[in-house]
Amino acid sequence: MFTFVTQYLSFLKLVPTMSWLFDGLLKLWAYFAKPVLLDWMDEIEAEVLQWQYTTSGIHKYGGMQFNYQGKEIGHIHSNGLLDMLLSRSVKAQLMQDGRISGHHTFKNTGWISFYICDIKEKDYALKLLRKGYERLVK
Amino acid sequence: MSRKNFLTDLKAYGISNLFAVGIIGINKYFIVDTHANADDIFVFSEFIITPMLMGIISAWFWRYSDLSSRGLTGKSFLNGCITIVLASGFLGEGFICLIIVSPLLFGSIIVGAFIGRAMFRRNNNTLNISIVGLTLVVFAADSLSEHHYENMVSDTIIVNAPPQQVWKNVVAFKRIKEKNKFWLFKIGMPSPVESTVEGYYLGAKRKCIFSNGYTFDEKIVTYDENKNLTFAITNQPRDPEIMGHIDIEQGQFLLKDNGDGTTTLVGNSWYKLYVFPTWYYDTWAQSITHNVHLRVMEHIKELSEVK
Repeated sequence: MFTFVTQYLSFLKLVPTMSWLFDGLLKLWAYFAKPVLLDWMDEIEAEVLQWQYTTSGIHKYGGMQFNYQGKEIGHIHSNGLLDMLLSRSVKAQLMQDGRISGHHTFKNTGWISFYICDIKEKDYALKLLRKGYERLVK
Repeated sequence: MSRKNFLTDLKAYGISNLFAVGIIGINKYFIVDTHANADDIFVFSEFIITPMLMGIISAWFWRYSDLSSRGLTGKSFLNGCITIVLASGFLGEGFICLIIVSPLLFGSIIVGAFIGRAMFRRNNNTLNISIVGLTLVVFAADSLSEHHYENMVSDTIIVNAPPQQVWKNVVAFKRIKEKNKFWLFKIGMPSPVESTVEGYYLGAKRKCIFSNGYTFDEKIVTYDENKNLTFAITNQPRDPEIMGHIDIEQGQFLLKDNGDGTTTLVGNSWYKLYVFPTWYYDTWAQSITHNVHLRVMEHIKELSEVK
């Protein structure tokens, strides 16, 4: 569903509030279908906010965004999809491991996507966010 | 649940819903009406901004509750359910209407609650007042803007019969006995079942009867035999399910002789929407109109193809 929307209906994000609304419905879906996903997002948020000079907020296209001194580290959509920017070399290295994929919209960039489906993947998402954080701190 | 938490929830649900009822009531006085159905117009702000503000208001009551995302989503869902019950009671909305509106309501209330949580965590009053102020400005601007939307839906099928045979079934047709396929018709939305006409001539009165007994009164305004039947809707029922939110203005059947014993049958409907945003409601309107067309046109096809 998410893939269909981002591939074929991505123009709708230009409609004010549309992407937020879609993310709100993803939260509702998660609440009934996979409530633990919402708990993992809280745990990730709590952990990231322990890192120095980080803040969280709402991403412009919906979801939870993490920032380091105002710069985006990454964001998690409410279906558990983590999108974040890494350097191209780190992305290439991680892609070889096969756990992450290129960003669902921004191809040929350092942006990556990673679905959080179980608790191990939640931990891996935290590792990825840490990499993104360290990239910005340097 | 402790008594304190229960009271907090009660305030969050009560005040946010009271706010919504109040603002929708006030809004009715400000909507600029260029048409007859002022009371029927529901604008973008009422479906998106108001529920978002409801979410923000409820988040304000829960600001010391330290709710998890799961808890906030669940409570916002319950808040949306209360709103839907109130909409049914105060606005007299039907079951189908509430199904159609519920994704907008639930999504917006949840978004509002999470925006509110982020706002009150930061505890920046200037920012918070700016956000709420901005949404109220958007609300006022939307309410004071003119709202007018018309559209047309067209469908085509091939009938394996010549136009002369199809024509009589286009002007009027016997009761449809085929079971409904469209999910909204299956769960209770009225669907067309029969069409009657007082005569085969220009100006004749026609009736389109729906499954719940409601009747659309029509008048034939173009009678070009075997080619074009156009009818104006002169009176339509005020069914709480959809009527009042959409007016069907005109219907048309065009027949094209394919020269091989078949006919291309085109069904067109023109309608006016009174609910906004159209990017949401027109998607539903098109889907419903399309399914009304297909139900009638497939019946006409079946009747016309009987040897």
